[in-house]
Amino acid sequence: MFRIQNNTITKKLTRMNMLVSGAALLMACASFVTYDLFAFRETIVRNLSIQARVAGSNSVTALVFNDSHTAENTLSALKAAPNIVSAGIYTLDGQIFAAYEREPGTQLPRFISADHDETHSFKDGSVIVTNSIVFQGKPTGMVYIRSDLRALNAQLQLYAIIAAAVLAASLGTALWLSSVFRRSITEPIRHLADVAGMVSRDKNYTVRATLPKSRDELSTLIESFNDMLTQIQGRDGALQLAHAELEQRVSERTFQLAAANKELESFSYSVSHDLRAPLRSIDGFSQALLEDCSETLNDDGRAHLQRIRKATQRMGFLIEDLLNLSRVSRTEMHTQNLDISALACSIANDLQNAQPERQIELQIEDGLKTRADPGLLRVVLENLLNNAWKFTSKHASAHIAFGMARGNGTPAFFVRDDGAGFDPAFADRLFGAFQRLHAMTEFAGTGVGLATVQRIVHRHGGRIWAESALGQGATFYFTLSETDS
Amino acid sequence: MRWSITTFAIACALFASSLDGQQSKPSEYQVKAVYLYNFGRFVDWSSTLPAGKNDSFSVCVIGQDPFGRALDNTLAGELIDQKKVVARRISKPQDATSCQVLFISSSEDVRLNNILPVLDRLNVLTVSDMSRFSERGGMIQFVLEKDKIRFEVNLTNVERTGLKLSSELLKVAIAVKRNSQAGD
Repeated sequence: MFRIQNNTITKKLTRMNMLVSGAALLMACASFVTYDLFAFRETIVRNLSIQARVAGSNSVTALVFNDSHTAENTLSALKAAPNIVSAGIYTLDGQIFAAYEREPGTQLPRFISADHDETHSFKDGSVIVTNSIVFQGKPTGMVYIRSDLRALNAQLQLYAIIAAAVLAASLGTALWLSSVFRRSITEPIRHLADVAGMVSRDKNYTVRATLPKSRDELSTLIESFNDMLTQIQGRDGALQLAHAELEQRVSERTFQLAAANKELESFSYSVSHDLRAPLRSIDGFSQALLEDCSETLNDDGRAHLQRIRKATQRMGFLIEDLLNLSRVSRTEMHTQNLDISALACSIANDLQNAQPERQIELQIEDGLKTRADPGLLRVVLENLLNNAWKFTSKHASAHIAFGMARGNGTPAFFVRDDGAGFDPAFADRLFGAFQRLHAMTEFAGTGVGLATVQRIVHRHGGRIWAESALGQGATFYFTLSETDS
Repeated sequence: MRWSITTFAIACALFASSLDGQQSKPSEYQVKAVYLYNFGRFVDWSSTLPAGKNDSFSVCVIGQDPFGRALDNTLAGELIDQKKVVARRISKPQDATSCQVLFISSSEDVRLNNILPVLDRLNVLTVSDMSRFSERGGMIQFVLEKDKIRFEVNLTNVERTGLKLSSELLKVAIAVKRNSQAGD
C-alpha cells in the first residue's frame, strides 16, 4: 500500500519533470526553428537576389546589343542551381528578352513591371525575385528568378528530425537525471511511509526513521515523526507499567479478599455448627424438664419452658439457614440442562401437600429449560415459592405464578404472588442477610432465604431483582446466565 | 462602373502596345546609333580619355552621314565616364583627334586605307558597316545576321592602340578575329 503510494509520488515527480523539460524544450525548439526558418527565408531571398544580380550583370551586353541568344546562354548557367525553376531577362519596357526554364512548360510571365528596383514574393510554394539591371548607373533591363522552396522544406524536415532527436535525447537525459535526483526526495518519503506502516501495523514504537543526509523540510518531518514516536513510546511504557501495577494490586486484593471471605465463611460455618450442640442440649433438657418435672412446676414455669423451647427451635432454624447460606457458597457447582418448569411444579406440589387447606391458584409456564446446578436451583425455587406461599397466607385465596418474562432486555424467570408485597423504598435491603421487611409476628422467617437465593443466582452469573408495592403482591425476577432462553 | 474602368484600361493597354509596336521597330541606323553609344560604354577609357572636366565624349562620323538626327537623339543627355556624349561630323581623319568613337561611313570605302593609318596613334574606336572592314584594319564591323544587327571585332586592330575592350562586349560579338602574323 505504501509502496503504491510512493510509486505514485515517483510517477508524479517524473511526469512533472518530463512535462516541464518537454515544454521548455518544445518552446526552445519552436523558437529556434521559427527564427532559423525566417533567417533561412531571408538567406534564400538574398541568394536568389545575388544570382539575379549576377545573371543580370552578365546579360547587360546581351541586352544592349539585343543578343537574346547570349542572354539565354547566360541564364542557362542557372542549371547549376537546381532550386531555380525559371528565370527571365526583360527589357526596360517589361517585354521578355531571354528565358530559362528548368523544365519545359514552366510559365514565365510575358511582361513584368519595372516599377521597383528589387522585389521578392513567396507564393504557390515558390519564391520570386525580380531585380532591375543597372549598368553604369543606367537601368538597362529586369531579371526575374523563380525558385522552388525545396531547400526550405528540406531544411524544415532536417529541423524536425533534429528537434525530435534533441527532444528525445533531452527527455532521456531528463528522465535519467530526475531518476537520480528524485531519489533524494522519494527515498526518505518511502522510508518514512514504511516505518509509519510498521508502527501502525505492529504497534512497535521502538523503531525510528533514518534521517536523510540533506537538511530540508523532509528531514524536519522525519525528525518530528521520530520525536512523536519517542513520546508515544514513553507514554506507552508508562501506561503498561501502570497497567501491570494495577493488575498486580487487583490480584493481591482479590486474593486477600478471597482469603478473608473464606476465613469468614469457615468461621461462620464452624460457629453455626458448634452452636447447634449447646442449643440441642438446651432444648433437650428443657423438654426433659417439662416431661419429668411437670408436676413440680407451676403453670408459669411450664410456660417459660415452652418459650425457651420455642426460642431454641427458632435459633436452630436460624443456624440451619446460616449453614445453608454458607454451604451455598462453599459447595461445588455442577451445571446441567434442567426442566425448570417441572422443578417448579414439584416444589409447588410439596407446598400444596403441606398445606392442603389453602386456596391457591397456581400458574406454572410449561417447558421452560435452563442450565444450572440442580441442588442450588431447587434452593432458589423453594425459597421464592415458599415466600410466595408465606406472604399470601393472610388472604383467603391467592394467585401464584411462575414463568418467563420476555420483555425488553434479557428474558428473566419470575415468581409472582398477590400477597403482602413490600415497600419498594426498601427493595435494596431485600437481599441482605437477616434483613426482614415484615415483623416476625406477621410472617415467620429468618431473613436469610433471599440472601441465599441471591448468592446462588450470582454464582450462576445471573441477576435477581424484585418489584412490588405494599399490599399489591410481589414479583421476583432472576436470570441464571446470559444463555437463558 | 468597375467593368467600364477595366474595359478602358484594356483599351488603353492595347492602344499603348500598338504604339509600342510601331516604336519597337526602329530603323537600322537608329539601332546602329544606340550600338555606337554602347560600344563606347564597354571600352576602358581610363588611360586614354583627356582629363579635362569640360571635355566631352565625342562620337564622330566621317564621310556621308547615314544617321541623320538619330545619332544626336540617341546621344542626347547620355554620359560615358562622367562626360557628356556628343555627336560630331568630321571630314578629315586628322579631325578625329578629339574623337573617341569614329563611325566610318561606307562612302569612305575607297579612302579607308588613307584614313586608318592616321588614326593608328589616336586611341579611337573605329566602327563601320562597310564590308571586310575588320579585315582591312578596322576594329568593329556591323554585320547583318538574320535581320538582326550584330558586329564582329578585330582584336589585333584594337590592341594596336591603347584601347581595351570589355570582355563582355566580346561575348556578344558574333566573331572576334585576330590578324594572322603574315597579314600584319
